[in-house]
Amino acid sequence: MASSHIKRAQRLAGTAERAVSRVTTPLRNFGFPYRIPTVPRGVEVPPEVTGLGAHYDTEWARRPLASGVRGIITEGPIRLAARVLANPEVAGLDRLSDLMRMEDPPPVIFAPTHHSHFDTGVMIRSIPTVWRRQLVIAAAADYFFDKKWKSAISALSLNAVPIDRESAGRTSSDLLSGLIADGCSLVIYPEGGRSPDGWGQSFKGGAAFLSSKTLTPVVPVFIEGTGAIFGKGMKRPKPGNTKVVFGSALSPLEGESTRRFNARIEAAVTVLGDEAITDYWSARQRAARGMSPVLTGPEYTSWRRDWDLADRRKLGAAGKRRRQKRTWPDLG
Amino acid sequence: MPRPGFVLDVDRSTPPMLFWRGENFSLERLPADRSRVIYPPEPLAGIEDVDGAIRNALLNPMDAEPLPTLLKPDMKLTICFDDASLSLPKMRQPDTRQRIIEAVLEMAAAAGVDDVHLIAALGLHRRMHDYELKHVLGDRIFDAFHPRGTLYQHDAEDYDNLAVIGETEEGEILEINKRVAESDLVVYANVNQVAMDGGWKSITTGVASYRCLSFHHNPKTLQNTRSLMDRHHSDLHKSLWRMGKVLRDSGPQVFTVETTLNTDTFPKPFDFLAKREWEWNAKDRATYLATQKSLSAMPVKARRKVMHNIESPYKMTSVQAGFTPTVHEETLKNVYAQHLVDVEGQTDILTMGIPYICPYNPEGIMNPILVMCMGLGYLFNMYRGKPLVREGGVIIMTHPTYPDFNPVHHPSYIDFFEEVLPDSTNPAVMSEKWEKKYAEDEWYRHLYRTGNAYHGVHPFYAWYWGAHGQQHASKVIIVGGDAATVRRLGFTPASTMNDAFEIASDVVGRSPSITHLHVPSVLVADVK
Amino acid sequence: MRALQVRRNIAMLGMARIASAVSPVMAAKMGPLEMRTVDDPECPGGTNAEGWHRVHTRLAGICGSDIALVEGHASTYFEDWVSFPFIPGHEVVGELDSGKRVVLEPVLGHAARGLPLPFAGASPADGDDYAHLAMDSNGGALATGIQTGFCCSTGGGWAPWFWAHESQLHHIDDDMPDERAVLVEPLAGGIHAALLAQPSTIGTENPVVAVLGAGTMGLAAVAGLKRYVPEARVVVGARYPHQQAYAKALGADVVVPSGELQRAVRREVGGMLVGGRLTSGAHVTIDAVGSNASVSDALGMTKPRGRVVLLGMPGEITLDLTGLWHRETELKGAYTYGTETLADGRTTSTFDLAIEAANYFEAERLLSATYPLADHVDAIAHAASAGRRGAVKIAFDMRERS
Repeated sequence: MASSHIKRAQRLAGTAERAVSRVTTPLRNFGFPYRIPTVPRGVEVPPEVTGLGAHYDTEWARRPLASGVRGIITEGPIRLAARVLANPEVAGLDRLSDLMRMEDPPPVIFAPTHHSHFDTGVMIRSIPTVWRRQLVIAAAADYFFDKKWKSAISALSLNAVPIDRESAGRTSSDLLSGLIADGCSLVIYPEGGRSPDGWGQSFKGGAAFLSSKTLTPVVPVFIEGTGAIFGKGMKRPKPGNTKVVFGSALSPLEGESTRRFNARIEAAVTVLGDEAITDYWSARQRAARGMSPVLTGPEYTSWRRDWDLADRRKLGAAGKRRRQKRTWPDLG
Repeated sequence: MPRPGFVLDVDRSTPPMLFWRGENFSLERLPADRSRVIYPPEPLAGIEDVDGAIRNALLNPMDAEPLPTLLKPDMKLTICFDDASLSLPKMRQPDTRQRIIEAVLEMAAAAGVDDVHLIAALGLHRRMHDYELKHVLGDRIFDAFHPRGTLYQHDAEDYDNLAVIGETEEGEILEINKRVAESDLVVYANVNQVAMDGGWKSITTGVASYRCLSFHHNPKTLQNTRSLMDRHHSDLHKSLWRMGKVLRDSGPQVFTVETTLNTDTFPKPFDFLAKREWEWNAKDRATYLATQKSLSAMPVKARRKVMHNIESPYKMTSVQAGFTPTVHEETLKNVYAQHLVDVEGQTDILTMGIPYICPYNPEGIMNPILVMCMGLGYLFNMYRGKPLVREGGVIIMTHPTYPDFNPVHHPSYIDFFEEVLPDSTNPAVMSEKWEKKYAEDEWYRHLYRTGNAYHGVHPFYAWYWGAHGQQHASKVIIVGGDAATVRRLGFTPASTMNDAFEIASDVVGRSPSITHLHVPSVLVADVK
Repeated sequence: MRALQVRRNIAMLGMARIASAVSPVMAAKMGPLEMRTVDDPECPGGTNAEGWHRVHTRLAGICGSDIALVEGHASTYFEDWVSFPFIPGHEVVGELDSGKRVVLEPVLGHAARGLPLPFAGASPADGDDYAHLAMDSNGGALATGIQTGFCCSTGGGWAPWFWAHESQLHHIDDDMPDERAVLVEPLAGGIHAALLAQPSTIGTENPVVAVLGAGTMGLAAVAGLKRYVPEARVVVGARYPHQQAYAKALGADVVVPSGELQRAVRREVGGMLVGGRLTSGAHVTIDAVGSNASVSDALGMTKPRGRVVLLGMPGEITLDLTGLWHRETELKGAYTYGTETLADGRTTSTFDLAIEAANYFEAERLLSATYPLADHVDAIAHAASAGRRGAVKIAFDMRERS
């Protein structure tokens, strides 16, 4: 019975409180500087510069000891968890083989779709070793870096770096350019945040801007199926299958604006999405005719959007059951 | 800077030379002061931006319109590609053919072409396994076209799907795959690893019928092909070029894309196998010893598996597209640039190590007939001008020559070994007496069409390939081979290289001059 | 007299079997066959005393069934058809007291046992009922025994002399050498098997007969086929080079090593190889080996509704007969000889055909070595490994050195 549990919890809390107060009551006699000062009337207190959000300094996470710890965390638990929960099928890596086989492979900027927190784990599992060892994830400053403990974990385990979503701040972009110049590859989600309803969102220009600034190629990536596993709003993850499709690296053309380049990146990811659920040739044919199905989904709203989403998901990796589907003979 | 090939005169300080010996290696000492070793040129540098170069070739072809202008929405487009007999060994993914075909498909999609067929131009070779198609074309192309039935392999015994294009002035009939004949445009994706391939040969053999091939795949033509790598002195190529003219005049429009490879055959850490022996450092020597010992300790099956898993890090050195003969002249320039070595004169003896692989046993077993084909056919023909050994000289090869056959790939080879070779090793006799029976056997036909078997007549072709070498040398000795098997091939068995020289002394005397062909890397000797 | 005798001793038979795995010499030494001084056999005529003769052995061959017995491999089937102790030896050319030379047809048939013949002119092995072979006859004087060489009353060929009934004796010409005559009995067995192939080959287009094994019996079958079934093309699988040479000399059309026989048959008749078996096959296959593997191979290279003739004594084997059922194959045993009906309707006895064939083929080339009776261990060891040692037929030579 619920009430008896609550009663028991209350009794426990009471005991704990009494124990603590026995220790703290004598300390009440101590004031400032042991305790927080009270503010006098009529005075303005300037806001504190917290070292959180976009200003969190993640430099410590790239020092050797922290890198070593992160290496263990990444190569072990994270990749294993990604395999167990998401079972990613990776395609299209041969498009990057020329870059991978260079004497000194250059860093690249990965621009994947974003439907779930698992995307990062899946990316870490799928990105080739050449880039994985020096990988930086651009994470939302207001979500991952609002608390000290969250910031620490994100920085240590994922090598996450805060990105300001609200304003196009210079801090983030300077920081990222600096990291790329040091040889780090970057994962940045152009959609800005996870999809709220299972369909994609239009791409923001961060990746395109960074690429133009640092002359680093952008690798478009389509991740299929993570939304059904642990999408935005889900309480518990539901293990399933995912598919990761890498596209050919894109570089900005002579004099191309960030906006145009961004549109090109979005178009490339769109075609990859088509390729992931149908096949290479049909996707290419539709792309040539300008008829690739858009990632943002149908124009209309309400239940019909969700209905179409279910149809689309059935075609994708999440729609495939882990065991082979039995094909019944066509007797018709 | 890659160094050119050169001829080394062996003296007393020369270390023993590396010889292939089937699925293993050996080091043999060659007699000083009368032996020379021909070293191939070092691998040339590859193209930096391969995909860009391919696109450039398609947009700026030779003697033809740019590919996009040739593509129309309602056309029948057929893309043919070289089969698993190239490259040897297979190259790392993405394969050249995958790159070419993806570039062509991009342009085809942009032009709105719907009717596209992809055909493996295998001639009378065996059908490729699915995993081989995937390796050559990549998963994307395979998954897009194979389930639809628009990616398939040429079937020379499907009489309903062959079409006669025409006849040459010598009465040779050009008969090819019907879909190819009736297409509006045929694009050929070629890998030109040796000078023998490419040009008009691609379509006139790759998608031809047995009847068409028998006009030039016969002992007489091949004995007058001197050599396979020199098309201007090859009766085979003269016939193929005649057929090419018929194809050009009366056949479908052909847009050929030819590519050349450098000789980066071995992935690290085995790249020392192509190095000059006196330049092997301590690590190379340790790797050689470890490799040789562990290969010797393994059973044959395991050894074959290890060797056939090698994927070569070949780099593309050139790509050209457009009108077949113009393109091919450019291709040959690039092939020779990688392969040619200048050599003065001939010698009494030619030695060569036979590897575990030839164009007719990818992923399979090199049976005794293929040992003859590789030695007297391919390696002997790696010359321009004159063969490396004088007429009537001796050829010495090293290979274990097990009487082992792969019954799935080579069923007719087994019967050829059991029935034809004991009767005669003379190509003219076997062509008269036995070829027809094997070409028309129903079982072989069934296995070629539905299984993964070479055509019933193929062992004859493998034997004819060596006809020139067989005629030229007066004695052929195999060192380290199974004695009864070697004798059945019409050769002489020897246990060691010194025994071989002893046996050869009957023909060439006690102090013969010796040339050793230092493959692993391919080379063509320009003999003056 | 001093003769080789087999006593019933299960322990020795068992040891011989085990020893045979080590070497034939060991089996011969430990086996139940021993050189002993035995009582001269009494005339087994008894109530049927007419027509019994003493035969003095000149040459006595060693047969595969003898070796099987000595090595303990013989099937227990024969328990009721032999009487211990007996003197082996049934391939005999001998001399009567009158000096005339004869060849022995060893079966102790109706005539020898004083019973009415099944039909006029029947040979000893003819008849639809074998009961008489398993009973004592002639008032008890002639014990159970399928043939001379397995009967305790008659004696046998591996002795200086033995008793034989005139129905068992075939007179031979003076110009037929002993060495040729000793091959008559095995030739008769081969010819009998070859004639069993004829119903399948007569009137068929391009009949092909495959012969598995080219020891004495296989070569005898080849001889029989080439002489009396001339319409058939004969394909022989022979393991050893000397056997291949003999097969070719006897006129076989295609001779290949035994491993290549299946493909050789396919090359003759066409068809495909599916699952290790030919889809078509030879019209008749004669198995002259008699083992698990050989019977199985024979079934796999015979065409549907074809016939497999088991010439070699198979013993107990385990076989998957699904193929036989599916292909409606006929399995036919071939044992010894009797009265034959030829294609043109003539009836004759197998032995007459064998004598004619022995003369035609100069069968003495198949006699590879002879031994005196005292060297029986070496003789049997040689016969047991005849193929490996380049031999075909081994025999005991009992003629006086004159």
